[in-house]
Amino acid sequence: MSDALLRVTDLVKHYGDVRAVDGVSFSAADAAVFTLLGPNGAGKTTTLEILEGIRDPDSGTIEIFGRRLRRVDRATKQRIGVLLQEGSFEPYLRAREVIRLFASFFRSSRSVDEILDRVALTDKASAFVKNLSGGQKQRLAIGAALVNNPDLVFLDEPTTGLDPQARRNVWSVVADLKATGVAIVMTTHYMEEAEALSDHVCIMDYGRLIAEGPPRELSARLGQETIVEFTADGIGEDDLAPLATCCKAARLEADLVSVETEDLVPTMESLLAWSKDRGIRLANMTVRQPNLEDVFLSLTGRRLRE
Amino acid sequence: MTDVLLLARTHVLTAIRERVTLFWFLIFPIFLLAILSFVFGQLGQEGEISFEVSLVNLDRGAAGSFSEMIESVFDDLAQSGEEGKEPLFQLRRPTSEEDAGAFLDSETLAVRRGRRAALVVIPEGLGRRIETELVTIGPSHGAASSDEAALQIYYSEGNASSDMAVAIIDQVLAGIDREILARTGRFDPQAAIPSSTTWVGSTSEETRYVDFLLPGIVLMGLFTNALFGIPGAILFARDQRVLRRYWVTPLSVPRFLGGLGLGHVALSALQIAILVVFGRYALGATVRFASPTALLLLLLAIATFMAFGFLVASVSKTGTSSMAIANILNMPMMFLSGLFFPITGLPAFIRAIVYANPISYLADGLRASVGVGTPLFSTGLAVGVPLAWIALSAGVAVWRLRWDVGR
Repeated sequence: MSDALLRVTDLVKHYGDVRAVDGVSFSAADAAVFTLLGPNGAGKTTTLEILEGIRDPDSGTIEIFGRRLRRVDRATKQRIGVLLQEGSFEPYLRAREVIRLFASFFRSSRSVDEILDRVALTDKASAFVKNLSGGQKQRLAIGAALVNNPDLVFLDEPTTGLDPQARRNVWSVVADLKATGVAIVMTTHYMEEAEALSDHVCIMDYGRLIAEGPPRELSARLGQETIVEFTADGIGEDDLAPLATCCKAARLEADLVSVETEDLVPTMESLLAWSKDRGIRLANMTVRQPNLEDVFLSLTGRRLRE
Repeated sequence: MTDVLLLARTHVLTAIRERVTLFWFLIFPIFLLAILSFVFGQLGQEGEISFEVSLVNLDRGAAGSFSEMIESVFDDLAQSGEEGKEPLFQLRRPTSEEDAGAFLDSETLAVRRGRRAALVVIPEGLGRRIETELVTIGPSHGAASSDEAALQIYYSEGNASSDMAVAIIDQVLAGIDREILARTGRFDPQAAIPSSTTWVGSTSEETRYVDFLLPGIVLMGLFTNALFGIPGAILFARDQRVLRRYWVTPLSVPRFLGGLGLGHVALSALQIAILVVFGRYALGATVRFASPTALLLLLLAIATFMAFGFLVASVSKTGTSSMAIANILNMPMMFLSGLFFPITGLPAFIRAIVYANPISYLADGLRASVGVGTPLFSTGLAVGVPLAWIALSAGVAVWRLRWDVGR
């Protein structure tokens, strides 16, 4: 990957004694969505903030657009777009004024109308920032990140705190963006989001990169597994003991039971017998293929949202 | 350049679109200007029974001359007639060591400013002229230039107490006429002490106070605007990560500051314009800020207050704490600066604050430049002290002001 748009090598950043980013290396390519997935505090945002020029790394190298940088400079900023995880606009500016202001910071920029259209805010062009909904504010922020027609866009937790409808709107903006050939580097702690949007996922935990690859490939690493999940009232760890013989692993979290198996049919038969035997009702049963959440679980023993 | 202009526009728009800011920025100074000029502009006009009048006798002739007689009549009127009753005049005369010319100058100014109701001057040769014209018949007798000598009365038109004092003085002079004629046994209705009245100012009592007040209110408005506006614009934007959004673009801190500064100057200009227009057309102020000196001082004031805003922003942890610090500084700095009343005669420890306060020098200089008041401080101080504050604030801001949170 010598033609990488973005390459990071052995990136380290400390906050006091905490190694927030602990020797992270990866590279991202054109026209693809590259995702840093991990729980809160995994070091995703710090990594992104170094790439955005907000923070300086303690050590490690950054290469953007084929240029090796100690820290992100103005020339690089002309070509990147950034959506910050936390960030706001002057509440008494109108949406149109925000985009116009941000456009003025760059040497070249798209027209205000084009940007507003792209993030579906044309009918809110005259609204004050303070009167926009959470989703509209987020789309405005994405618009501001796109004014300079960037070659590389950083999206830090683009849908955190948004309702499902607003989240889907943001997803469609990201998909459109990818279709126009822009490289996107984003962070998320939503497994569905990483799965829905990413071409390449890096799973991070405690400042380290613990796995990376295309989402399907990552899931496939768990083998030919199938996961059966159901809820059962008043069940204890002891009840799970007999299941050890019929499946690869069985886990209990609150009242949710997850059973991993490589051979579904015998497992299902055993489960039904077990349920009849013990008088346990199998509610909300689902049978599914492993996802990134399961990958994370199998690597760390914890769930993403813990 | 567009970025700086649009940032300036942003600063102006956010200031005037927010109602709370707009209130402190415009409504409050206008309100204070109106209230103070109505309340204090009327003082000294109600129930006044005593007039402060200055008298200068330049006619030092022989004892018992008519000039001396006029002087003694005024002296008598300055004595309390009845028990518990104020005398008609409170007479001010030059002390024996005081130079009559200097006294005359300062008292003329006092009349113009309304501190004296009138100034009466007995010129040299008046006594002789009365003698030749009123006592010895016919103007043909005397031919000297001193014959032109006439009693001079200086007053301020439109000032109620000044008008009344002049009317009373006229009555007094008529009385003296009759006294002289009675004494010499002649009675000529045409004969009168030659006198002339001179109008020394165009300002009435009310507008005079407004003229004193307006430069102070303008400075107060500029000060408050900067003291709250600058830390607010920087720190709230920083704390809410509005600034961080800017820093991930190619925008630099100097250009952001350029925009903020330009926007602040534009707001200040708007503020000055509105206050001056209101002062002039609603309250009848006559001071003019259009002189180069006044405009330069206003610019210096804007720069000083803006620097002060940066100082507050630099020593504050958050936007909220900057508002608290601004509140603590606001009132003492405004009141211990001579914006609303003269600073002479304050206790020493308060004077120390006054002398460290840049507003004192700016208020003094601005008032002098628009012609209300003689300057207390030299030009060097009036410019130097604010410049020193600008340098100090800039230094502290460079050292301490943080442009992003958590870095």
